[in-house]
Amino acid sequence: MSLIQALLIGVFAYLGSKRTPWFFGVTGGWNMIGRPLVAGLIVGIILGDVTTGVIAGAMVQALFIGQITPGGAMPADVNWAAYIGIPLAIAAGGSGEQAVALAVPLSMLGLGIFNFIMTINAYFPHRSDKYAEQGNSKGIIKMTYAAAVPSFVLRFGSAAVICYLGAPVTEVLLNNMPAMLLHFFEVAGKMLPAIGFAMLLKQSLTQTWMIAFFLMGWVLIGSTTMSVTALAIFATAIALMFVMAKGNAPAATNTIVQGDDDCYED
Amino acid sequence: MIVMKTNAKILTKKDVSKAAWRYIFFAQSVQNFERMMGQAFCFVLIPALDKLYKNKPEEHKKALERHMQFFNTEPQLGAIIPGITLAMEEARATGEDISEELIVSTKNALMGPFAGIGDSMLIGTYSPILLSIAMSMCINDGNPMGPIFFCVVWLTSMVGLQYYLFHKGYNAGIGAADTFFKNKELTNKITTGLNVMGLIVIGGVASTTVKAKTIFEFVSGDMSIVLQTKVFDAIMPALIPLVITLLTWYAMDKKGWSANKIILAILAFSGVMVVFGIM
Repeated sequence: MSLIQALLIGVFAYLGSKRTPWFFGVTGGWNMIGRPLVAGLIVGIILGDVTTGVIAGAMVQALFIGQITPGGAMPADVNWAAYIGIPLAIAAGGSGEQAVALAVPLSMLGLGIFNFIMTINAYFPHRSDKYAEQGNSKGIIKMTYAAAVPSFVLRFGSAAVICYLGAPVTEVLLNNMPAMLLHFFEVAGKMLPAIGFAMLLKQSLTQTWMIAFFLMGWVLIGSTTMSVTALAIFATAIALMFVMAKGNAPAATNTIVQGDDDCYED
Repeated sequence: MIVMKTNAKILTKKDVSKAAWRYIFFAQSVQNFERMMGQAFCFVLIPALDKLYKNKPEEHKKALERHMQFFNTEPQLGAIIPGITLAMEEARATGEDISEELIVSTKNALMGPFAGIGDSMLIGTYSPILLSIAMSMCINDGNPMGPIFFCVVWLTSMVGLQYYLFHKGYNAGIGAADTFFKNKELTNKITTGLNVMGLIVIGGVASTTVKAKTIFEFVSGDMSIVLQTKVFDAIMPALIPLVITLLTWYAMDKKGWSANKIILAILAFSGVMVVFGIM
């Protein structure tokens, strides 16, 4: 990996991090550029192997498909998994399975960076409090812009440096690995995405019997030649039928709403 | 219910749009453990507050201070909250009887419910559905259309939604939240529908993403049976991955295993299978 490539990956790692405002804020950054699926395409273009990049991106994405971060409590740092795991795997001549195998430990280590930024960023509101007391809007605006600095330094810096220094090491490791160990990473890398789906199921299943919907999708794609787009249309129809059938039953509504209303009355 | 007089307007539509764009770009830009989105919330309202309290420096200071406080919600669905707040600040600035406490307590009362609905509906369901469809387009052949499809659909729908919600919040003022919660039935229907659809689509994508097959062969004299094709595939394609996925879900959801524990379990399982030549 050349220095320029590593620097470019670092820039996109920053653009895909949580606090980046540049591209439609959290919508275009963290929730889009930061997704391993999109990172795979970007890294693939930078490293000159789009096909491998996209496949690796999709496989790493599966690992994190169920991740929601309520209140900023992050179970794993997707950013390092995406912008360090995928490039290292590609640069070393590996594929999706190697990217997944690298993504797992990296996502745990990356949490340190995430929590560090979350902590030091409290400096900016403290400075802004003083400006607010003076009625100094410009000061608050300046502090908001300044908050981009630690994010940029840490996100860009960590990804660029680790990619640049880590690529030759990973290459040597992968090329000298015993065949059995390589095979182990391949087997584990293909199985690990089960965790992403399990996490998603845990959140989505309001009642356990609803696992039947999941099984239905599994069987339709696994055992027939149906495409996922066709499945999505089919699933929409099922969802409508389900909601309509349920909606006709007499429902107990508005019990919570009445209580909430009091807050707004004066 | 507060009825807001709509005759006195200081802010133009342009001012509101400006605040909406500031919100879309900067909502999470200063996120930190202490205030979360607090400072960004203040930053979003600043040009409007400067205009509203131009000749009232004391009020201006207090307004800045009250929006520097803790604020946290799901930023995308939560775009309605700064819209509502802006309408309330304008009403206060034009002399209506809206107390500081009411503005602050409205923000605080709304951020929880919108975080809950937004996280489960947008981040927990809508985004995984789009990602799943995109992954199915590219996981086997590396077709760049997969990620591009995701980017285009996600970005246009989410930026549009936030812009719409911000304006909706401003136009309806404090009534916006009311409409939202009165329509709980509709919200529930949308959430349930998306949930059902998501489960089916994600089941489909999971079947092509999680992979596991055995290379074990029964050899007895001249006869050999390839376990994978003769037994498992004959029962159902992708049977082993399904069992693994369901076991993973069972351990996580019903047995309360942490993700790290499951990762270790899968690594250990793969290791044993590889060493014994089963997989």
